[in-house]
Amino acid sequence: MTLFLSIVRRAFSVLVTLFGVSVIIFIVLRLLPGNAVTASVGVSAGLLTKAQLASLDHYYGVGQPAVEQYFSWLHALLSGNLGVSLVYRESVSTLIGSSLPVTLELAAVTMIFGVAIGVGFGMWSALHPGRWQDDVGQTVSVVGLAVPSFILGTVLVVLMSTKFHYFPSSKAFVGLFTNPWLNIQQIVFPAIVLSLGIGAAILRTTRAAVLEVSGLNFARTALGKGVTRRAFVWRHLFLNALTAVVTMSGIQLGYLLGGTVIIEQIFILPGMGRLLISAINNRDFPVVQSVTLIFAAGFVIVNMAVDLAYALIDPRTRNR
Amino acid sequence: MKRITRVRALASTALVASMIALVATGVTSASASPQPRAATGTLVIGTTNSVQKIDPDVVTNFLDFEALGLIYQTLVQENANLQIVPDLATSWAFSNGNKTLTLQLRPDVRFDDGTTMTSADVVASLNRAEASATADPSASFIGSVTNIAASGPDTVVLTMSHPDVSVLEGLATVNLAIMPAASITAGTITKTPDGTGPYEYQSLVANTSFTMVANPNYWGGAPSIGTVELETIPTEQSISAALQAGTIQIGLLSQPTVVKTIPSSFSVQKVLDLSYRALMLQDKKGPLANVNARRAIACATNRQQILQDAVFGQGKTVGPVPLGPYATSPVSSICPSQNLAKAKSYLKAAGLSKGFSFTAITSDALDSTSSAQAIAMQSQLAKVGIKMSIQNLAGNAYIQDWLKGKFQAAFAENGADPDPYVMYGRYFGAGADLNVPAGYSSKTLQQELLAGDENSTASGQAKDWQTLNNTLTGNAVWIWLFDSNDFAAVASNVHGFVLSPVNTTQLSSLATTTLN
Repeated sequence: MTLFLSIVRRAFSVLVTLFGVSVIIFIVLRLLPGNAVTASVGVSAGLLTKAQLASLDHYYGVGQPAVEQYFSWLHALLSGNLGVSLVYRESVSTLIGSSLPVTLELAAVTMIFGVAIGVGFGMWSALHPGRWQDDVGQTVSVVGLAVPSFILGTVLVVLMSTKFHYFPSSKAFVGLFTNPWLNIQQIVFPAIVLSLGIGAAILRTTRAAVLEVSGLNFARTALGKGVTRRAFVWRHLFLNALTAVVTMSGIQLGYLLGGTVIIEQIFILPGMGRLLISAINNRDFPVVQSVTLIFAAGFVIVNMAVDLAYALIDPRTRNR
Repeated sequence: MKRITRVRALASTALVASMIALVATGVTSASASPQPRAATGTLVIGTTNSVQKIDPDVVTNFLDFEALGLIYQTLVQENANLQIVPDLATSWAFSNGNKTLTLQLRPDVRFDDGTTMTSADVVASLNRAEASATADPSASFIGSVTNIAASGPDTVVLTMSHPDVSVLEGLATVNLAIMPAASITAGTITKTPDGTGPYEYQSLVANTSFTMVANPNYWGGAPSIGTVELETIPTEQSISAALQAGTIQIGLLSQPTVVKTIPSSFSVQKVLDLSYRALMLQDKKGPLANVNARRAIACATNRQQILQDAVFGQGKTVGPVPLGPYATSPVSSICPSQNLAKAKSYLKAAGLSKGFSFTAITSDALDSTSSAQAIAMQSQLAKVGIKMSIQNLAGNAYIQDWLKGKFQAAFAENGADPDPYVMYGRYFGAGADLNVPAGYSSKTLQQELLAGDENSTASGQAKDWQTLNNTLTGNAVWIWLFDSNDFAAVASNVHGFVLSPVNTTQLSSLATTTLN
């Protein structure tokens, strides 16, 4: 029952957060100079007659009171209608429907790689403190954190294409179930690039948490009682360090949704990041609002999931 | 413990092996079949832009023009030498003191829906373009037309309110493309393109690709390439990578630094595009209201150096009319090249011997070379005591200020046209739509523009337009700088592709391009 109440409470806070985010997105977009008409036709707007401009203003909803625009959007949103793209004249749901799976797949594969790198090297490093294994782990974490993903991505693309004439992402993107082999090739390289930074952050957290736990009394007691090495590492050290690892993984997953924006540009993936950049450039308000809200929703939902995961991992937190 | 180590070692080996296999397999398939699309008759063109709209009457984006220019056709078109030649009209004649234009239509032209084009389609298309509800940005090109009428099934007559030979040049834009009257009436033209061009619309995936297939009924002969796909690749570096990986056959590029990375196995075409860079000046108030202050800027400017700094010399310095039969030569009537002594004498004549200050706006979002131009010019003007401050704006902020004339000076990349009236009538003509951003107006300029527009003889127009060039540069209305190159990297299995200088129809040669 306590867990149920906790879920309800957090779900409510998610809704409040998303409402706040929607207001902020709406206001910020309208504070930017320019409107959808000039974004759409550029300086050619100067060539239009007053009657033509009035026609476009009506189409783009320019001049409608902001409050009216907001509640009209919110009402449509709650009805499941994300509106119509001002640029492509296509339903925003359709645009997001084709972009979101790409970003979700990229994020999922990236997290798998990132957690594997982070937990793997983090444990390896923590179990050999001060030795060469630790140095390797530390080096991986420093490199992963220091090298920006867009530089790594660009270098990888240039190397693959010039040395191996291989750049699978430049072919038209295919879904996992349409052509699994090509899809894997298109996703795996950007996922590797993104996962290095994420893996590095998880690595440092894992190492620190495991080192901390290994110095606690219960760990020494377990060793003194003669538990096997494997049981000591995975049941006593890793499980007790897991809360910190999950927290860091959750934070990284939240940031990852935004981090895919640049990598999707470099690797030509038609995901949410590319959709967002294009929509911002074109002042395509319905698309920008919806995509940003989805990114924000992803972030807060992941955080909620992490909070709830604590209860599963650590029984002590269930009653808090 | 040893067992765990062995398992780890096996797992690591498997992971590494699978990664190597993944790359190796990909490499093998890429090497064995470098252009898999070519075998199926598909030509893929990489570009950083994306097609946004499929209604030719409302497009403003260059790639939209290029894509729809392969699906739709216009009454006349510009050839590679920027001369007006027949397209859907085979001949034309001005009469009634250049106030009437009669066009004879090409027979046996079919739309994609199979219907035959008639004069009724032309009338409906031009009426749609003129209608306010359409918001066609090129409607002003036929603004002088008061009546559009069919005179038999193959003849159309345009009646103008005043003599206007430039209307013919305006008819070459895709914004005035010909479409079926029935589709206009039914309202389907906004969703389903239906033209007479060499290709037919197949699909548009927003922000990703635009696909066309060969039109078997094309009056000029069906194209040999089955499918043309315009693929959006967000960065030029990635276009270069996709070319080298063999997944695209043509890459449209604008950055000389990227062009240098293209291997010699590709042919690189370059062409001066039909646009120009200029420093537009608001000449109504402040020091720039003084003609000699503006002339000082013109003379202190080293255009060649700006061209070098901004685009690595890939282009040429130009005057008001960059290309075509009336191209400005020399680029300035007062200072064709930098002349600091003359600049100082103009400053003295302006009563500003110690120089003056002004602010110029730029937008790298709209023109990536904008700031580089400004920085180069800033140091040149400083040599005669003119202090130019630079304000770099976001794209839409720049457009807003530009449209309202809220600037002293603006680095701009403007579209050009071989016909000076089409280019500058909108800025400096009587009641010009863009007179506010133009920042300058004079009766002399208006009269010179009208004289050229009303003159239908080639020699007479050449003289009129030279006079206009001299007025524009002699008064340093703006400071015209340069025209840059556009590039296309073309794979060796593509034949007959020629990049056109006309930005809006750069891909027109795809009608006759072949693919091995």
